[in-house]
Amino acid sequence: MITRQWAVTTLRYALLILWAGISIFPIFWMVSTSLKSSAEWFAWPAHFIPNAPTLDNYRLVWSPFEQPEGFGRRDVQTSQISSPWSAFRNSVVIAGTSTILSVAIGLLLAYAASRYQALSERRMFNLLMLRMVPAITVALPILIYYRWWEETLSLQFLDTFHGLIILYVVTTLPYSLWMIKSFIDEIPLEIEEAAAVLGASTLRTLWEVVLPLVRSGLVATLLFVLILTWSEYLLALTLGFGDIATLPVAMSRYEGATEGRIYGHQAALSVGVTFPLVIVGLAIHRHLVRGFSFGMMRR
Amino acid sequence: MALITLARLRKEFKGAVAVQGIDLEIKDGEFLVLVGPSGCGKTTTLRMIAGLEEPTSGEITIDGRPARGLDPGQRNLGMVFQNLALFPHKAVADNIAFGLRMKKVPPEEIRSRVAQVARTMHITHLLAKLPAHCSGGEAQRVALARTLVTNPTAFLLDEPLSNLDAMLRKEMRAEIDRLHSQLRQTFVYVTHDQEEAMTLADRIVVMREGVVEQVGTPMEIYHDPVNQFVASFFGSPAMNLIDGEVRLTTGGPAFSFNGREVPLTGLGRVPDGPATLGVRPEAVRVEGVTDGYPARVSLIEPLGKETLLYLDYGTERLLIAVANSSVGVSEGTSLAFDLSGGRLFLFDTEGRRLGRSDAGSS
Repeated sequence: MITRQWAVTTLRYALLILWAGISIFPIFWMVSTSLKSSAEWFAWPAHFIPNAPTLDNYRLVWSPFEQPEGFGRRDVQTSQISSPWSAFRNSVVIAGTSTILSVAIGLLLAYAASRYQALSERRMFNLLMLRMVPAITVALPILIYYRWWEETLSLQFLDTFHGLIILYVVTTLPYSLWMIKSFIDEIPLEIEEAAAVLGASTLRTLWEVVLPLVRSGLVATLLFVLILTWSEYLLALTLGFGDIATLPVAMSRYEGATEGRIYGHQAALSVGVTFPLVIVGLAIHRHLVRGFSFGMMRR
Repeated sequence: MALITLARLRKEFKGAVAVQGIDLEIKDGEFLVLVGPSGCGKTTTLRMIAGLEEPTSGEITIDGRPARGLDPGQRNLGMVFQNLALFPHKAVADNIAFGLRMKKVPPEEIRSRVAQVARTMHITHLLAKLPAHCSGGEAQRVALARTLVTNPTAFLLDEPLSNLDAMLRKEMRAEIDRLHSQLRQTFVYVTHDQEEAMTLADRIVVMREGVVEQVGTPMEIYHDPVNQFVASFFGSPAMNLIDGEVRLTTGGPAFSFNGREVPLTGLGRVPDGPATLGVRPEAVRVEGVTDGYPARVSLIEPLGKETLLYLDYGTERLLIAVANSSVGVSEGTSLAFDLSGGRLFLFDTEGRRLGRSDAGSS
């Protein structure tokens, strides 16, 4: 009996370790590549640990200054975007704004859906189904609409912050709604009724009673939506190709037609893209544990 | 002061009728208990008074003012919920202060009133704690304090003691009783516990399936129930019910069961036919009975002060008798019991009371 249990435990841990390896390896490889000089990018057999670690890739990619022509590899067309810092700024503005808007609107919607049955079960499900549609099927029609509005109504949506932000808010709203609703559903209705009997208005109750109780859930939702919008590529590429290129778009530009893939630079950029999410995740991990295990932790 | 009247109050939920047209006047300063089995509409009635449910039809007036259209917060009522509904993220002091803050009471006054009510409820030491760190009884006091501090004209309590253990329940029951006699405010209290209703109430409203069965003082309800439902709902252990029939004999009406007869003296005119006889366990005599009904003791429950005997007299249902604890019987003993000494209740097949002395047979 004990040996069987031992076997099950061993198998379980073996699978978990395997899964962790599969998940962590790309990140490891990204960091490793970012520290390699160009000679090692294509080395075979592969160098898992760089022979001569260097920060050159970071220096080159994340240099805040305009790079003089011919800096680093001559054939890198860095002029396509001014510097990753402008893409970084674009990403912060677009992902940040759309995440906050998505969660804020999602909170109000979720409250209405949870407490006033504003959305039927079926409609809630249909909303989530919307997210199952591949982005590419949405990207082109939206592109056509944006172009059309520009031409007929002189409304500038293409390659603008608001054009992309609106789209991100709309596409992430189902997630916000679903996640936040499940947290609000956990709050006993009597707590809100008690507030009402004591003279609190609905908005007051939402602000003073509901919001603090779902705070952890909101933070979890915030991070989830932020990951979605921060790493979104296809819509950003289709609708924000020029002035407002975001980091994922900028990253793709380190692949040139003539010079092939510039792995080291891409990796250094990727680390820079991933890093803020890790920082945010660590900063709020307390909330995440509570947020993702909300139902189990109460009382 | 609060005089609350309900007129033809009715509530339907998606076709199901929860409350079927209640007329009730709750007097100022009265302790009124709504009691009945679960699903009888007592909580729905309370929630309609509080403004948490909109009546389907009918009127509620509070101090002569129609309540229709008033938000819960505008009715100046205090409510204690079954699960207490304390705000889990606020300290006890903030929980208590919440209602005052909503009423825009100046901060210094809030502080002094919170301190005062905390002294009254003996929870001063809890003020900085979160509700999760309070015991069941402490949380109960906090919930009462939160309601008390706003000076409501009436208190609505929805099964406030149901989550407490038996000891604490008795203690808090006494506390609520003390509070009522101190404040002399109107209390409307919902419970399914007949004992709680009996001990607390000035008047009891017995409900079943959305209908008021009887309104009266605890003694009226106990000694003069209008029907079998009310009679068997009150009293612990519950009233014995014996199926049989009424026969009109030369010596007056008699109740016949198992080939035996009980003379129905003290009852008014009763029709003959099938009926149910109700006898409170304390009215069943087992000691010093020589010419009684034979039975076998099938179970003995000693309660200390007295002993419950479950008597098998040849029918499916056992007859419960309250005997002196010194009664010298053991399980399996045969004895005789007598019903003629105590008060008898008679019900027809619909459960209506027959031969009710004051109101006459219904």
